[in-house]
Amino acid sequence: MFEKVLIANRGEIALRIQRACAELGIATVAVHSTADADAMHVRLADESVCIGPAPASESYLNIPSIISAAEITGADAIHPGYGFLSENANFVSIVEEHDITFIGPKAEHIKVMGDKIAAKQTVKELGIPVVPGSDGAVSDAAAAAEIADEIGYPVLVKAAAGGGGRGMKVARSRDELDHAVSTARAESKAAFGDDALYLERYLDKPRHIEIQVLGDAHGNAIHLGERDCSLQRRHQKVLEESPSPAITAEERSRIGETVATAVRNLGYLGAGTVEFLYEDGEFFFIEMNTRLQVEHPVTEMVTGIDLVREQIRIAAGEPLSITQQDVKLSGHAIECRINAEHPETFRPSPGTITDFHPPGGLGVRIDSAAYSGYRIPPYYDSMIGKLIVYGDDRQECMMRLQRALREFVVGGIDTTIPLFGRLVRETDVQTGEYHIHWLEQFLGLH
Amino acid sequence: MSSSHSDKTLAQSPVDKETIRELADLLKETELSEIEVETEEFKIRVARTMGAGAPVHYAPLPVASAPAPAETAAADIAGDSGSHPGAVTSPMVGTVYTSPEPGAQPFVQVGDQVATGDTLLIVEAMKTMNPILAPTSGTVKQILIEDAQPVEFGETLIVIE
Repeated sequence: MFEKVLIANRGEIALRIQRACAELGIATVAVHSTADADAMHVRLADESVCIGPAPASESYLNIPSIISAAEITGADAIHPGYGFLSENANFVSIVEEHDITFIGPKAEHIKVMGDKIAAKQTVKELGIPVVPGSDGAVSDAAAAAEIADEIGYPVLVKAAAGGGGRGMKVARSRDELDHAVSTARAESKAAFGDDALYLERYLDKPRHIEIQVLGDAHGNAIHLGERDCSLQRRHQKVLEESPSPAITAEERSRIGETVATAVRNLGYLGAGTVEFLYEDGEFFFIEMNTRLQVEHPVTEMVTGIDLVREQIRIAAGEPLSITQQDVKLSGHAIECRINAEHPETFRPSPGTITDFHPPGGLGVRIDSAAYSGYRIPPYYDSMIGKLIVYGDDRQECMMRLQRALREFVVGGIDTTIPLFGRLVRETDVQTGEYHIHWLEQFLGLH
Repeated sequence: MSSSHSDKTLAQSPVDKETIRELADLLKETELSEIEVETEEFKIRVARTMGAGAPVHYAPLPVASAPAPAETAAADIAGDSGSHPGAVTSPMVGTVYTSPEPGAQPFVQVGDQVATGDTLLIVEAMKTMNPILAPTSGTVKQILIEDAQPVEFGETLIVIE
């Protein structure tokens, strides 16, 4: 087992990793930018190293700085969290070249899943169902038109180098296609430095359902059930729950087995999530995230499995602590991502949190690095914490969520807590009858 | 006015506050960066903070260690020099060296006159040696680091006046 882990991230996920390491008796090194010198996880870590000024490119994305920090502190492993360098295959290689263990998948798998076209091809060969689309990049508008006719409109023009919901344009008919293609190409080039595009059928009212997987270095791979992340705004998840109110136990078992088998055959190492669009009983692969996800806590609550601990154990060469038979989904969990934004306009609200009083009680979990007096830096994303509630069933979970939201006090800044207060009173959210466009439609109407 | 938790703990603990003060003084005198004392009853580690970010380690045993004296020592230095206009800070994470090679004369010593562009130190990061040059001319007033000490981004290395 590792003696010292360097946490190459910030905010709530850095705190999450700090906690898992502390519980395993592993010393931690918190690397941070100048803006995060007072961060909670920096205070709790055993050692800390300032790695650069505030901008992420000079700190959290600064590979030489992070490697240097690992060298001077003698860290034997690095946990990248999510975002930043967590899916940077180049970073993985550099870490390994320095005889440090990267807590995550192999560089080759990060690479193949990071290329959305190659990912689709790879999983298709492994037996995972995919969205009908162009088999590969579309070379020009004419090729796009031909393929779109085959797949059928509406179509989605997607950036091969995109992901996380970025670089996508809808074309509902032949007339809209040329514009969608040229816009997507330009945006993709600007955002990802790569303008390769591919096409997929656009599903009308699908749900976003993802499967959590774990694979170890001994050939074992299991799934930990699904998370329903259909409530999204601008392709960013807002609320997630497990299990999905929409799928049956049989469907879960079927897709879970398919995914676990694929992951096993791939020889995938660590935690990963295979994301699907689900419509009318069918699953369509969209992408695989080769890292821990923001919403991992809902899976932890319903399975009782500490995913970060498993990641660390897997990276240290230990076999999975459970078999597929041991995995039981029990109860229901919901997570709300709390952002420092106005609950209606979504205008970012950096500033100082004057009062921070999170809710408590049975079945309430807060994953947040915020505290009274904490100054939110304006340089990073606006999520200040996650409220996760657990109940014996979905009904109890929803009641608990309503109760917990009423108790949650964050003073000094705007937060999206009131938005969740509104959402839990909506019939569709209470019955679980929503899809990936639901939230934007709700926000448009209100 | 109620006493702080740490005051209560120290008052009730079997650890001699004098011991802790002695250790802290010893630290300053000998210019060590940390001292650890362990007996059957307790373990205390007193350390100087190395820079803006490094927290002091708290012993896991029931007796609370008291980092306050050591921290004051470090705070004096950091407080003074961090905001000093002649403070030369590290532009990167790495290991600082005070001489061009082991055993050689240090680049500069306290009291030396330096001109803009003179090499003051080297910071090694990932096997590359990066010279740290004097940003202004003046006299070397303080050298806050030791040879082969790890440094972080922004850490004050030398003060020139």
